Amino acid sequence: MTTASTPPLWAEAVLRLFLKPDVFASVSGDLLEQYRDSIQPARGTRGADAWYRVQVLGYVLRGAGLWAALFALAYVARTAFDWLRPTTDFYTRSQVSTALAVGILVLAGFWTAWRSGSFAAGAAVGLATTVMAAALSIGGVALLFAIWHEPGTMAAIKGSGDLEESLVLPVFLIVPGLLLGGFGGLLGATARRLVHAG
Amino acid sequence: MAEVLGTFEQAVLLAILRLAEEAYGRAILLEVEKRLKREVAPGAVHATLERLENKGLVKSKLGSGTVIRSGRPRRYYRLEPDGVTALIETHGTIQDLWRGIRWPLKGHV
Repeated sequence: MTTASTPPLWAEAVLRLFLKPDVFASVSGDLLEQYRDSIQPARGTRGADAWYRVQVLGYVLRGAGLWAALFALAYVARTAFDWLRPTTDFYTRSQVSTALAVGILVLAGFWTAWRSGSFAAGAAVGLATTVMAAALSIGGVALLFAIWHEPGTMAAIKGSGDLEESLVLPVFLIVPGLLLGGFGGLLGATARRLVHAG
Repeated sequence: MAEVLGTFEQAVLLAILRLAEEAYGRAILLEVEKRLKREVAPGAVHATLERLENKGLVKSKLGSGTVIRSGRPRRYYRLEPDGVTALIETHGTIQDLWRGIRWPLKGHV
């Protein structure tokens, strides 16, 4: 065993964002012990670092997976609604879906920062949520298109901004996701401090 | 009827039972890997432990750290009475499922 080798610092910093402080101490200790005692001797430093990054990714997926699924579900549902129930007035639909998306991201940021005590955790979960949701949404929209592409639906797709917009928009939501998650994180971390101070 | 535990939950609870006073995160991970004969993600064990603790089946407390952990504390787990009951009931359910089945299994191949 060796205690000199250390996993990537940035990966540890990400892990810290997604766990409660007391949980981080014991979980990161377990990971460090496994890294130094089992993985590094068997796979070398590069292999062990890769292993550590994969483990941290697992915690990120657990922390943001539910929010990403909700976000993608809302996006695909809105797309399906536009395609299958066409309209020329998108104002109300946009209001509802924007409010829903903002709500999911702010709540994700709030909840994660409330648990971890760090506002940056909110930004991190907002980013992770929109990145994962983008992949899920694009897959969902592609599936919708594979199922419904007869002339009537094609006309509705063109009328709602075309297929390209439906596939590209989730990627453009990543930066707003980071900011909204950060805003939720600010609220969550502040609320936690106020509650614990009081 | 009590909730039947999943295979992974049983593996984690039985690891805690076997390890007794030495049941902390990484030791549980190694024990589960040994019994299931496959590599297991530490995150899966930690998530299961958190879920079992939320259900009241196990209880944890922080212990001291070691050099290899850079002083970070170990979290030790022990079974609560509800955890023991859940294991016993799950064992009973599995035995009921298999009762009367003749071994070796023969199917329509």
